[in-house]
Amino acid sequence: MNIQFKKGVLELCVLVVLCRKDSYGYELVQAISKNIDIAEGTVYPLLRRLMKEGYFTTYIQESGEGPARKYYQITDKGRAYQAVLMAEWTRFVAGVSTLIGKENVA
Amino acid sequence: MTREKYLADLKHSLVRMSDEERRDVLYDYEEHFRMGMAEGRSEDQIARALGNPRIVGKAYAIDALLDESKEGGGVGAASVLRAVFASISLGFFNIIFVLGPFLGLVGVMIGLWATAVSLGVSGLAVLLSPLAAVIVPGAITLAGMNPAFLFFAGVGVAALGVLAVIGMIKLSELFIRMIAAYVRLNARIVTRRK
Repeated sequence: MNIQFKKGVLELCVLVVLCRKDSYGYELVQAISKNIDIAEGTVYPLLRRLMKEGYFTTYIQESGEGPARKYYQITDKGRAYQAVLMAEWTRFVAGVSTLIGKENVA
Repeated sequence: MTREKYLADLKHSLVRMSDEERRDVLYDYEEHFRMGMAEGRSEDQIARALGNPRIVGKAYAIDALLDESKEGGGVGAASVLRAVFASISLGFFNIIFVLGPFLGLVGVMIGLWATAVSLGVSGLAVLLSPLAAVIVPGAITLAGMNPAFLFFAGVGVAALGVLAVIGMIKLSELFIRMIAAYVRLNARIVTRRK
């Protein structure tokens, strides 16, 4: 898949997962890599960038097992951005589906 | 690849960031390894799933570069590098696409100047020729032409020459202004200054 395209989609995926609930890095990466074939290491730079843009914040929380974990929490700005990306994605998929449908008929 | 090797490689490729930020980034990957291993994955498995540490490092480097250019004005390594690339590519562009036409234009300018000056000089010569014929009889022949006609024709040609010279002065000024603007544009692209 085209790398730029994949990056954009990956952004959406991260935001969608975080919209559901706060997650720590490993959990987030697993949730995504379970469904999409990506190099797991590339999710962290993305998380860092989105955090710098103010789409989410982090906090440290002690866990039952092992050391404290860094959790990511979405901000209002992040939710708004997620909505924008989601709308774009939906429009894109609808467009492609229409195209594919037409191709199949033709 | 072992955890240690992976983290070392990653650390090595995390250029263009503060020590604090580098520590922060590495911490994310240390945590990742820790949790993966707690789930029973091997170091090698985790490393492979993470992907090439150099490529991962590059992702951070690109973000850092973008941040730098957003902040702007900074004379960081990135802007210097950019300036170097800009000047090299500009150099090629200048040699291949600009130097030739420039030399051609210089040639045209020289030719036009020569034409303008010779118009003036020959006009002057023609208008003076009847006088010369009177002052120094036999020095030049007027080829049987009317001295008055020669005089006025000379005045006309000389005037044309003067006009041409004035035109050339204007044209040369424009030409020099264009070159100056182009040189300034080059400098601006290289230094990225407004």
